[in-house]
Amino acid sequence: MEPLQANVVVSLTRESFDNIYLDLSKESGKCRFAETGFGWKPSGGGDTFTLNAVEIGAAQWSRASKGFEVKILLRHSGVVQLDGFQQEDFERMQKVFKNWYSTNLEHKEHALRGWNWGKGEFGKAELAFNVQNRPAFEIPYSEISNTNLAGKNEVALEFALPANGDDTGTNGSLGGARGKGKKAGAGKDQLVEMRFYIPGVTTKKEALEGEDA
Amino acid sequence: DSNATAVKKFKRFESYKRDNQFPNKVRDLAIVVDQKNATVVLPIMGRPVPFHIQTIKNASKSDEGEFAYLRINFLSPGQGVGRKDDQPFEDASAHFVRSLTFRSHDGDRLQEISNQIGNMKKDAVKREQEKKEMED
Repeated sequence: MEPLQANVVVSLTRESFDNIYLDLSKESGKCRFAETGFGWKPSGGGDTFTLNAVEIGAAQWSRASKGFEVKILLRHSGVVQLDGFQQEDFERMQKVFKNWYSTNLEHKEHALRGWNWGKGEFGKAELAFNVQNRPAFEIPYSEISNTNLAGKNEVALEFALPANGDDTGTNGSLGGARGKGKKAGAGKDQLVEMRFYIPGVTTKKEALEGEDA
Repeated sequence: DSNATAVKKFKRFESYKRDNQFPNKVRDLAIVVDQKNATVVLPIMGRPVPFHIQTIKNASKSDEGEFAYLRINFLSPGQGVGRKDDQPFEDASAHFVRSLTFRSHDGDRLQEISNQIGNMKKDAVKREQEKKEMED
């Protein structure tokens, strides 16, 4: 590289954060961001997960379980979740994404009302359930193993679950980070199935069949 | 007018106003019963998701093989239960979460959560009835 550094204003070339959880990992790790992308290394030792900056499509900042979450929507498909940031890390992270990845870190507030009605909306990588235009939760498509029409106006989603707790779907040396299709198995309580009431699904079908008859 | 009254009614229950009000225990990615806010917080893909007791119909625990299961049923249209004014049925296009099922190796804890939800529901129904009597 050209030795131009001396002429530019000194700026950070790296930002690092401790106690971050990658994809609902059991262990926390250290997360380092640089212009080329970021890496996450489990604190107990093990492999480092890396993501190249060119793969970053969009990024969101939200309240999650351990703390605040940076969710990265990949350019092609898929989602990377980094939980455990502090509220005051927002500005630093916003700069990281703006300056290095030309990406706006969108502050996404979730619905906290506790309502069970809203609108299911299909995004690029996730199904979001929105309450008053705010997501209450999101389900990455990679985590859904089966769907079926369980009854009149009723749709059931089944989730992929590991056969046992040690099966995280990734190399175990990533601190127990959850691979695709294994996220539901991350916690003590594991989501198995979700059912939605969707109005008009069968009624429309019946109406059409009625016309045929 | 009646519409305004209806809207007011739905706004009556709200689990949290700010995201710093979650109980600390949501860290564990486990179900948390928050008695103080009449809310059950459920872990969905790493996010704590509140459901107010007013949206819950019932909860039941069962055992199958090495796992225990907890199924939480929510109030939704077409079940023939619940008073009409409990939910915003005037929005005919709304989708509802109708049920969520979790599994755990700790059956005793799921049983306790099931009992807590049952008791919280009983208390909520009782409070609603008392309120209604006061209004009448």
